Amino acid sequence: MSTAAAAPFWRTAGFTYLRYANTCATMVRSCLKEPYKSQVAAREGYSYKLVKWDNGTQQKAVVHESEAAAH
Amino acid sequence: ASQLAVKNRMKSVKNIQKITKAMKMVAASKLRRAQEQLEKTRSIWQPFTALLGDAPATVAEKSLTITVSSDKGLCGGINSTAVKYTRAYKRWLDQHDVTAVAENPKPLVDIAVLGEKGKAQLQRDLSKSLVLTAVDYSRVGINFSLVCEMIDQIMKEKEYDVYRVIFNRFASTISFQPTVATVLSATTLQDQLEGGGSLEEYEFEGTENGAAEVLQDLSEFHLASVLYNGLVENATSEQGARMSAMDSSTRNASEVLEKLTLNYNRSRQAAITTELIEIISGAAALEAGND
Amino acid sequence: KVTLNFLLPHDSLFEKEEVDQVILPATTGQMGVLPGHVPTVAQLRPGLLEISKDSEITKFFVSSGFAFIHANSVTDVIAVEAVPLDRLDPEEVKKGLNEYVAKLAAAESDEDKAEAQIGLEVHSAMSGALGV
Repeated sequence: MSTAAAAPFWRTAGFTYLRYANTCATMVRSCLKEPYKSQVAAREGYSYKLVKWDNGTQQKAVVHESEAAAH
Repeated sequence: ASQLAVKNRMKSVKNIQKITKAMKMVAASKLRRAQEQLEKTRSIWQPFTALLGDAPATVAEKSLTITVSSDKGLCGGINSTAVKYTRAYKRWLDQHDVTAVAENPKPLVDIAVLGEKGKAQLQRDLSKSLVLTAVDYSRVGINFSLVCEMIDQIMKEKEYDVYRVIFNRFASTISFQPTVATVLSATTLQDQLEGGGSLEEYEFEGTENGAAEVLQDLSEFHLASVLYNGLVENATSEQGARMSAMDSSTRNASEVLEKLTLNYNRSRQAAITTELIEIISGAAALEAGND
Repeated sequence: KVTLNFLLPHDSLFEKEEVDQVILPATTGQMGVLPGHVPTVAQLRPGLLEISKDSEITKFFVSSGFAFIHANSVTDVIAVEAVPLDRLDPEEVKKGLNEYVAKLAAAESDEDKAEAQIGLEVHSAMSGALGV
């Protein structure tokens, strides 16, 4: 395994690669000119209800929503 | 009275038919949109398969099965098929020993379910294997952000050696292929790399400290691509299945309606005939009386 | 020729396109891919991707992703987001850059700090690619 020093800063902060990559993509989209910016908005909005399970028991459901979908 | 009952029955069948017809139209337009999205995403997993291969039979110490199902019903058997495959894979993995790789000889097989319908079925018999369920995921839309966010939640919980995504691949409005896509974790890929797998012939850029970091990122990206494609495939299958289910319901209602109409007409004719006979025989009796 | 597949989750920009050269923003620096390149797996950072075909150059800004260069000169580029460079708004980029400089200075948690640092990385890359 690689040493801790070799890990990128975002991994050290507890980000998964996907969170990093998704953040980068969102930032690029936010710098688009119009009308392109509005056209790509659908790539960001999401909403779902997450339940974690512990040995056969459901924990409390939590709604996860993108900022765009929450407004 | 029986004529009235038949008439009422006809009315309710007509109403049902109106609903199924409308649902079919909605599904058809959603299907068109889903197919457009699918067309554009179909190639995304191919480079990963070309590089990493597909190893559905990999048995590892810890694996996670992600079952993709729909949030809504009335879409034929696609959810039951995904559930059946999940159970079959779980059973098959449970039969394996992993003594060679672990102290605990029985592999850990966890399950995550996306979609209300798969959750409702799997929590009945496999609740102890569930780690996470996500429902109501298709309301706003299916995109890569959603997938990244969900996998982020999964990876925060536990680490696995192998991931399997089970979904229905869209073939046509009447045909769906249950599909299992396998994604290997960074450590499993590392073993493969050292064991002289197909990966060995590639140089890894930026890996002065070993390939582990790159492999971790690559494996996450692979999983997200496969899951995104799976969700879009499944959503397309869902709309296709709903469209054909509603189409056959509409046709079925037509048949029932035809039979009821025939029935109604017959009994109406019978009533008219009886009435006519009464009038005619009454008239005949009067005439006979006049003679 | 290099056979290029340039794929995004939501779109296929190029499929089996015969091109002369691809310059990728690898994490180790810009990397040129010509026919006969040694098989490589390269991780991409936010940056400029240039495709040369018949002396014409097409420029994209990619957010992050991977490139697989196979032995037969087939090159697969998979990015989360990629946009034609001229669709980026230099004003937005400048604004964003300033915003994340301020956010980094003000960040307290590791998470906020990492987020601001990503913002800085992405926006400086865009600003560099646009030459503003």
